[in-house]
Amino acid sequence: MKTMQARVRKLLEEKTIDGFIGLKMEHGHPAPFMFSRENLGEMETLVVGDVRYPLNKVLLKVANQYPELTLGVMVRGCDERGLTELLKWNQLHRDRVVPVGIACTRELADSCECYKPYPSDWVVGEKTEGITKSKRLQKIEGMDQKERLGYWLNQFNKCIKCYGCRDICPMCFCEVCSLEDRNFILTGKLPPENPTFHLSRAVHMVGRCIDCGLCEEACPSDIPVRTLYKKINEIVKEYFDYRTGESSEGKSPLNLLGEVTLELSDVNK
Amino acid sequence: MAKEVESAAGFEPKIIAFLCNWCSYGGADLAGVSRLQYPANTRTIRVMCTATISPHHILKAFQKGADGVLVGGCHIGDCHYIKGNYMTIKRVAILKELLRFTGFQEDRLYLDWISSAEGVRFAEVIRNFTQKVKELGPSHLRTTY
Repeated sequence: MKTMQARVRKLLEEKTIDGFIGLKMEHGHPAPFMFSRENLGEMETLVVGDVRYPLNKVLLKVANQYPELTLGVMVRGCDERGLTELLKWNQLHRDRVVPVGIACTRELADSCECYKPYPSDWVVGEKTEGITKSKRLQKIEGMDQKERLGYWLNQFNKCIKCYGCRDICPMCFCEVCSLEDRNFILTGKLPPENPTFHLSRAVHMVGRCIDCGLCEEACPSDIPVRTLYKKINEIVKEYFDYRTGESSEGKSPLNLLGEVTLELSDVNK
Repeated sequence: MAKEVESAAGFEPKIIAFLCNWCSYGGADLAGVSRLQYPANTRTIRVMCTATISPHHILKAFQKGADGVLVGGCHIGDCHYIKGNYMTIKRVAILKELLRFTGFQEDRLYLDWISSAEGVRFAEVIRNFTQKVKELGPSHLRTTY
């Protein structure tokens, strides 16, 4: 904690950054907060823990409103993947973002089943091994077709169309969301189109999902949406050898036309 | 809603075919002009290029109760817009895997390249696909018959 506070203070005082998007302990709860030179006195309330927030989303909001500012942001492994992708999607200016990394604990990495629970360099925390086999996916793969259908249709039935998954997703930055298209997702009925609502969100997550898991945490109905997006990441890795945010070069497969690498026999198996 | 439906004898599937204007639709036209016989279960939607077909369209077709969706485009290298079908094959591949993972029979979605000279082949593709969808039975998302 102290290390992070000292680093942020240093960055602010040396004018490397104008503001730092981090977490502040307020009334016993951590919440996103922008530390700046004007409120250096509150630096002791800066916290680093297992709590997670979509800080990239807050960063995007601030950067869009104040494009001339250079901002620092606290990043975990997943957040850094998100930043790399957002830079490729031209949502942020490379020179105006200074990430300060933290590595995740073993417990967090296990519960997230994260393949890389640490950024490229970090101030707090220790490197832990990533997880390659996801139990969540194995559970679904172990079911036969009928079981799977019943499972997923029942899960999607619980949806109350709160858009929490989309609102909290740090990678969702579209100004007009297709999930709000009146011709696609009709208004005035619950649950929303089952399964189109969730399957179309899953398709939007191709080459975009950083596997932060905030969607599942935000869902008030406990729908295992994260499992769906983990599968999407697996599909993209298998078919296109692409992992979201792994490299700062090269666009995601649905964003880049590129050359054709698939045959019809790969599709109609 | 998941409904347990008995596949009734004489079940006629409803198939939506998205055909690209330049190749597949031309092939379908040729099949028609040549008086080739093929099952009448397919409703065609002509699009300018299969690249204009979003996964949204395919998902909506299934949501509305289509038992099968066929996407017909130009052969690779022959796309009227040069590389449109490159995108299509990527999208359909991903969508099929996703459908399989969520328990929907991914064989209900079929992608093929049919050129405008392949009238006989178009009829054959429709015949084969209709048969396959018949065997799969009515879609679980169907609410009307």
